[in-house]
Amino acid sequence: MTTIWHAIFGYFYLVLTVRVLKRRPGAQMTPFEFVLIFLIGGVIILCTMGDDRSETNSVCAVVTIALMHRLVSYLKTRFPKFGLIVDGTPVALVERGVWHKDLMRRLGLDETDVMAAARVKSVKTLDGIKYAILERNGAISIIKNDS
Amino acid sequence: MPADIETKQIEDSVAKNNNEVAVGSDLEFQRRWWRFEHILWLALTALVILDALGFFGRGWFAKAEAKTPDGSMRIEYERIERFGAPSLLTIHFGQNAVRNGGIQLWASDSLLHELGSQRLIPQADRSALDGHGILYTWVAAPQPDSVQFSMQPAKVGSAWLTLRVPGADQMRLKIAIFP
Amino acid sequence: MGGVWRGVFGYLFLVLMVRVAGRRPGKQITPFEFVFVFFAGGLTLTSMVGDDRSLLNAVGLIASIALTHFLMVWARQHWPVFGRIADGTPLVLLEKGRWRPDTMRRMRLQHDDVMAAARDKGLERLDQIAYAFLERNGEISIIPAED
Repeated sequence: MTTIWHAIFGYFYLVLTVRVLKRRPGAQMTPFEFVLIFLIGGVIILCTMGDDRSETNSVCAVVTIALMHRLVSYLKTRFPKFGLIVDGTPVALVERGVWHKDLMRRLGLDETDVMAAARVKSVKTLDGIKYAILERNGAISIIKNDS
Repeated sequence: MPADIETKQIEDSVAKNNNEVAVGSDLEFQRRWWRFEHILWLALTALVILDALGFFGRGWFAKAEAKTPDGSMRIEYERIERFGAPSLLTIHFGQNAVRNGGIQLWASDSLLHELGSQRLIPQADRSALDGHGILYTWVAAPQPDSVQFSMQPAKVGSAWLTLRVPGADQMRLKIAIFP
Repeated sequence: MGGVWRGVFGYLFLVLMVRVAGRRPGKQITPFEFVFVFFAGGLTLTSMVGDDRSLLNAVGLIASIALTHFLMVWARQHWPVFGRIADGTPLVLLEKGRWRPDTMRRMRLQHDDVMAAARDKGLERLDQIAYAFLERNGEISIIPAED
């Protein structure tokens, strides 16, 4: 029973931690974030299992977090506000050539990050960008200026 | 002259939707899979509930108590144990367990083998192995009114444990050990 | 000997759990997804190893995991049915201006997820999409409408 509580708490704690960690732009997770997840996750894993390392215990723990995961996914679709809390919302960084410098600053982004995403789309200069959107998963999507 | 590479003419091998876009979508299979998932989630939920109730050990259902008819022993144990997971077995002695100024307890050797008993508190003054079990003796006064074995089950399956104060009723317990 | 069974069972169990609870739309694995996968994997490995932290046990476990994985890969290629069980099938989400609401709901997708994939292709509005598919790996692929 304690394993189940530990697992539930551990899962939400991990999700919260991951969400709160300042999300760097770009879809990749940096090595530093990996280390952090492994460290925090590892601690929670060991504490969840405790002294009981039987298969029965681990199966129950994994099934518990699978249920939690499913629950959160369901809540996200049912309650869009919940989805906002867990995943965030897409943010427009550039709109029709207008750069939202204040938003970018608060998100910890600068022009070079946006340009890096733009180069992937073969856009060479800043004015080639019509819209730049920071997606929920951290990726930046670029809509080109067709001129 | 390059070696001959095997080639094969492309065919319509990826199923098309509306004879237009080659998607390879198998909706019939997907519907069956969704039904399977639905059943699976019900089973998983049931599994967690059963576990919370102790049907897989370490919970309310697993806790058990056994008393000998003559009151010489009252045993608190777990009828469902888990492989490698520490657990306790407590024996409370009744008045008639004290004989000749001491208490003796005989336990079948499943206590050591399948159940992996590691520690006994309070330690016995004497312990002797005979072919099928162990005889513990506490002599020094005051005799303990209860003793506790700490165990770490070493073998998956079911174990039969026999406990007896020599001369009094014996208790035979069936303990299941989950992986 | 027990180690081998733990390895095989643990691996198969994890594959099932991730298949059932873990797939989410999007190209990259989001931190939210990663939490579940990582937590589940860590819990499973803790019980696999159990109290036997010898090198021999580790080698045996890794070997049985690798073998099971190899068998699964082979089975997928050899039997298409198994491939569908293991990987799933591509699904239509949007076709010529009409959604598939049943599929969207069951796969826990929102319209915004499809739009995010479309933005990645440089599209601005939903009506610019001819087809949207959910691929087996969770990615949403977009075929733009030709004007």
